[in-house]
Amino acid sequence: MFTSLKAGEKGKIVDISHVGNLVKRRLLDLGITEGSEICVKCVMPFGGPIMIESCGQCVGIRRKEAVQIEVERI
Amino acid sequence: MEIALIGNPNTGKTSLFNNLTGSYEYVGNWSGVTVEKKVGVFKNNIGRLIDLPGVYTLNPLSRDEGVVTSFFLNDSVDRLLNILDASQLERNLHLTMQLLEFEKPLLIGLNMIDVASQRGIMIDAKKLSEKLGVPVVPVVARSGKGCDQLVDTISTKSFTPVKKNLVNYGVEVEKAIADLSQELAGKTEHSKRFLAIQYFEGNEYVKNYVTQIVDGEKLQAISAKLEESIKKSYEVKTLPNFIYMKRKAAIETIIAETTSRRDGVVPLSEKIDSIVTNKYLGMPIFLLLMYLMFMLTFDWLGTPMSDALDGLLTGPVASGIENALTAVHASAFIHALIIEGLVAGVGGVLVFVPQIFILFFFISLLEDSGYMARVALVMDRIMESVGLNGKAFIPMMIGFGCNVPGIMAARTIETPRERLLTILLTPLMSCSARLPVYALFVGAFFAAHKAFIVLSLYVLGIVVALILAKLFSSTMLKSQTSLFVIELPPYRLPQFQSLWRSTWDKGKGFVRKAGTFIFAGSVFIWILSYAGPGGLKVEMDDSFLAAIGGVIAPILAPIGFGTWQAAASLITGFLAKEAIISTMNIIYFVPSDSSLQGLLANYYTPLAAYSFMVFILLYIPCLATTATIYKETGSKKWTAFAIGYALVIAYVLSLIIYQGGKLFGLV
Amino acid sequence: MIASIVIGVAIFGYAAWALVRFINRSKQGKCAACELNKSCSGGCSVPPEINR
Repeated sequence: MFTSLKAGEKGKIVDISHVGNLVKRRLLDLGITEGSEICVKCVMPFGGPIMIESCGQCVGIRRKEAVQIEVERI
Repeated sequence: MEIALIGNPNTGKTSLFNNLTGSYEYVGNWSGVTVEKKVGVFKNNIGRLIDLPGVYTLNPLSRDEGVVTSFFLNDSVDRLLNILDASQLERNLHLTMQLLEFEKPLLIGLNMIDVASQRGIMIDAKKLSEKLGVPVVPVVARSGKGCDQLVDTISTKSFTPVKKNLVNYGVEVEKAIADLSQELAGKTEHSKRFLAIQYFEGNEYVKNYVTQIVDGEKLQAISAKLEESIKKSYEVKTLPNFIYMKRKAAIETIIAETTSRRDGVVPLSEKIDSIVTNKYLGMPIFLLLMYLMFMLTFDWLGTPMSDALDGLLTGPVASGIENALTAVHASAFIHALIIEGLVAGVGGVLVFVPQIFILFFFISLLEDSGYMARVALVMDRIMESVGLNGKAFIPMMIGFGCNVPGIMAARTIETPRERLLTILLTPLMSCSARLPVYALFVGAFFAAHKAFIVLSLYVLGIVVALILAKLFSSTMLKSQTSLFVIELPPYRLPQFQSLWRSTWDKGKGFVRKAGTFIFAGSVFIWILSYAGPGGLKVEMDDSFLAAIGGVIAPILAPIGFGTWQAAASLITGFLAKEAIISTMNIIYFVPSDSSLQGLLANYYTPLAAYSFMVFILLYIPCLATTATIYKETGSKKWTAFAIGYALVIAYVLSLIIYQGGKLFGLV
Repeated sequence: MIASIVIGVAIFGYAAWALVRFINRSKQGKCAACELNKSCSGGCSVPPEINR
């Protein structure tokens, strides 16, 4: 699960299929999909969004979508 | 010749557009600055250049992206100029692949090569050009480097793609593409391969288009059969995903052959980000920045400049005009018209030019630096709790300059419900035209806490918007779907020149409006105050203006300013908010030795003044904003609602503030 | 007297023209009326299918 990663840790996306269609599409547009390496940059307080980095670009997504993304630590 | 600029969001299309056409369009550092189609003429007159909103693919999710797909399907274009962000080549090439399938002449501008090389990414433009079969020209749009070469290439080379079918989608898909193309044969001028692939990817716009020309069920059958066989023979979940993977594989091969990587430096962005989007500091930093902005605008810098300008206008300029009028023996009527009408009305607005420019400078700074998207990220948690998303904060921030582009910016919000909510609430953001009212009143009543009082109004606008968002989203606009994925662009050090252009571009409208509408309005208002049922040159209290204002005044009495003067200025404020100030200057006209600020104390108590400012903040979207709401929502009902709720909420809040304040013994 | 008439006609003529033009432009809404945009020659095109 995404949230098991702390700020600064890296991971690889294993499964993204549980995420809603719209969000999945948008992430795909940004080149983030299964197999992408990501790095958690920071986590906003009070259940706010998290900021991830993939291939040199930063993207903000909501916590509740992030928890649906399966990630393995690397 | 028509050339369309197309590329991913925030890759510098508009910067390039400005460079190539010599015009100035709005640029900023976040995704979705351009939300509509814009046309300009090349500097050397070789043709017209069309600037389009940025898209990731031709399969749209949001409305600004829909503009592009619909442009491809319905408009004719001779050549495409595809701008790629060199530092994000892989993602950018997904769009390029689709454009190549469109089979129109294509030229690639490889932008941000400087950023890429900083990150250690080296791209062999020549080799890339060979691989793709179209010319590739490296450029740096921001500085204009390479633009001449780009224009040369556009005007001299013919760049019809030499390679066909760069991506092989596998036997099954290719077979289905052939089948679908056969159905479409002779019925469309667009590339059939392009239409077929987009259809399989589930592009709604293309689906609409093809079902208009051929039988939809047949196409549906082909698509369904294909999806079936794909799922059977490969381990994929959906057909669009399969197509994506095939494209991706082709792109990866191209990238491997054309780019080399070495270690680059860590971008400055990450260091700044660790502070401004810090867990706890993010929000306070945002508020601090806003506070600094208001201190500079109203206290440290803006007010002294405005005062100096005021001194100049009411002193030498007014007396100069007066002398000139006496010299040509102008009649008393003309004399009064110019001095009491025009100088008071137009001058009263022009005085605030310095403050407006300072505010616009800061808004430009926010837009250009890349902070905008960060604010959206920081605000998302709050926005989510009221049924909006963080992206809605960007239109609202732009609304601080002018509500009209703010409402347009809502196009980047993907879900229709959130977009509508944002459109309805953006008018509550205090636009720059309301600023002169605050400046005048805080100067007269709250001299010691100018910036704080004005900040309180801006924050009030945001808070009311959030509360109403919660109210609307839990009653009329219920829906669960929400989408928040935001690209955070790297920070850029804003260049002074582009900052100045951006500030000037926003601010000049204010000056122009003073010379046109405010001028005309001042003449009109002055005539109404000069003439009355009893003839010309009546006492102002017996004028037509007093009669009109007097009808509404009793309604305003409970909220603290039941005078015909206040009512009359509120009416003119619907046309443009600046008109409120010019109307007041004419109504409360005073000979040059005392000022309007001093005079106001006779008509308002501080409490009534605050109530008045709150009412101005909220009461009605101006005419241009109302028209924009109508165009963007396409609904008379929602437009009327936007006006109606604003009036109600303004009245209720002013009532609470004034009556509540009186209860607590404030005056 | 002549000067008064000339000035008066000029001011009222210009004011009437500016007022009509402003209201027409405002009614178009969008960029035309706003500070931010001078050239929107492309027409702020919202394709019909977008306004669903």
